[in-house]
Amino acid sequence: MSIPPSGDLILLVQNPIDAEALINHVRTGADGAIVTFDGCVRNQSHGRRTLYLDYEAYESMALAKMREIAAELHAKFRIDRAAIAHRLGRLEIGETSVFIAVSAPHRAAAFDACRFAIDTLKRSVPIWKKEYFEDGAVWADGELPPVPHDTQSRKRAS
Amino acid sequence: MSSVTPSIQVKVLFFGRLKEVAGGAEEFVELTPGSRIEELFASFVARRPELAPFRSSLVASRNQEFAAWSTPLQPGDEIAFLPPVSGG
Repeated sequence: MSIPPSGDLILLVQNPIDAEALINHVRTGADGAIVTFDGCVRNQSHGRRTLYLDYEAYESMALAKMREIAAELHAKFRIDRAAIAHRLGRLEIGETSVFIAVSAPHRAAAFDACRFAIDTLKRSVPIWKKEYFEDGAVWADGELPPVPHDTQSRKRAS
Repeated sequence: MSSVTPSIQVKVLFFGRLKEVAGGAEEFVELTPGSRIEELFASFVARRPELAPFRSSLVASRNQEFAAWSTPLQPGDEIAFLPPVSGG
């Protein structure tokens, strides 16, 4: 991964996520805490044994939404830097699919921001996973992102 | 030549399970000016009725922003139909 020297870091990658590089990216002398979230591939889903997962994204929009999450972290929490990386393609059991690192002068903001980041990502970033089992494959159940309200559709009659 | 019916072209993307049902990931579509996202989706349902049940469990985006079904289309728009997201 090529990593810019400062600011937040937002990545979609095909190869294994370099967690240490993300942690080092957010680490500065001004910080007293770094909180990380490592989302990894579980070996079962609803009791069915998972063989592997395949992730796909609407990449341009996913990157835009991940950047929005980082901006929101700065607006809501007293953090220093955020790094958010999601991997795409085929992932084996135990591999990291998403990694988030947040640095802050004090730990409370780093914990809160990291939790907010993963919760928001799972709800609003256009990424999908297909789960492969011994007897077939299914697209995982997901969350429907919040969308602006339809304001005009009701008034178009007559 | 007499006048040609004006039309606008938009790019349409399907993802996840919708891509499999729609039979492709990407398509360019011609529509009459003033068409909305709702009508664009309906034009796909007309060709592929098996898409109809997905209407209530998907969201649309216009130029990488989530968009309401009533959003009017502009020439060159990139519209995507997105099933519930499951990243992370």
